[in-house]
Amino acid sequence: MMRIEPAAWQAMVRHAEQSYPNECCGALLGVVENGVQRVSLARPLRNVYAGDQRDRYEVDPTELLAVDREARAQGLQLIGIYHSHPDADAYFSKTDLENSCPWFSFVVLAVKKGRVEAAGCFVPEADQRSAIRQELVLPEDSRFCTSKP
Amino acid sequence: MVKILIPTALRQYVDQRDAVEVEARTVGEALETLSRRYTELRRHLYNEEGKLRSFVNIYLNDEDIRYLQREATPLNDGDTLTIVPSIAGGGHGDQHHQCAC
Repeated sequence: MMRIEPAAWQAMVRHAEQSYPNECCGALLGVVENGVQRVSLARPLRNVYAGDQRDRYEVDPTELLAVDREARAQGLQLIGIYHSHPDADAYFSKTDLENSCPWFSFVVLAVKKGRVEAAGCFVPEADQRSAIRQELVLPEDSRFCTSKP
Repeated sequence: MVKILIPTALRQYVDQRDAVEVEARTVGEALETLSRRYTELRRHLYNEEGKLRSFVNIYLNDEDIRYLQREATPLNDGDTLTIVPSIAGGGHGDQHHQCAC
């Protein structure tokens, strides 16, 4: 299960809506306790995909290296990656699967007409041919729906 | 000794350590030593041909080894290696999932 704390969730939503109609991406930092991933910090990253960013994103590994160092310095862990799907649903696409890394949890935000409307969390299998839907718990006052596992 | 920083998701294969120290002269030797010591880790770093998996980037201190001498890059005592994955994706190409808004 992944539980996202309010400040981190607000940062993710703000980033996704400000990036619309392009996809955004970022890193999720926190701790893992008793099998629960608790995300306390969402760190926006640049989408460095060279083509049309309305349906693609790419993380700069150098930025991810910096975030990993930041996490270690704060006693946190780099738990996952988030990105948005503008005017599409919160699912793990074929492109996501083929280009992801099976070491992380991936949160996908569905942004419809500039507003985040849903979110889902996925963990790719080691062979990157399928992904497991992971339970995602958002702050109680969030106006969004989550995709149940 | 060189220090290899382990990503969160791979720590389960290295006794929950966040870093492992090894004796090695090159990057390749360091990763090989790490994989021999923690055999479950190997399949996460290497493909069936024994090459580093396509999404695995290795940084020597602040430098991506692809811009150095790759796995033949020599190491000095006190160097740090970090394992950083490539990550990309997006909703591209799945038209049936596009919303009708």
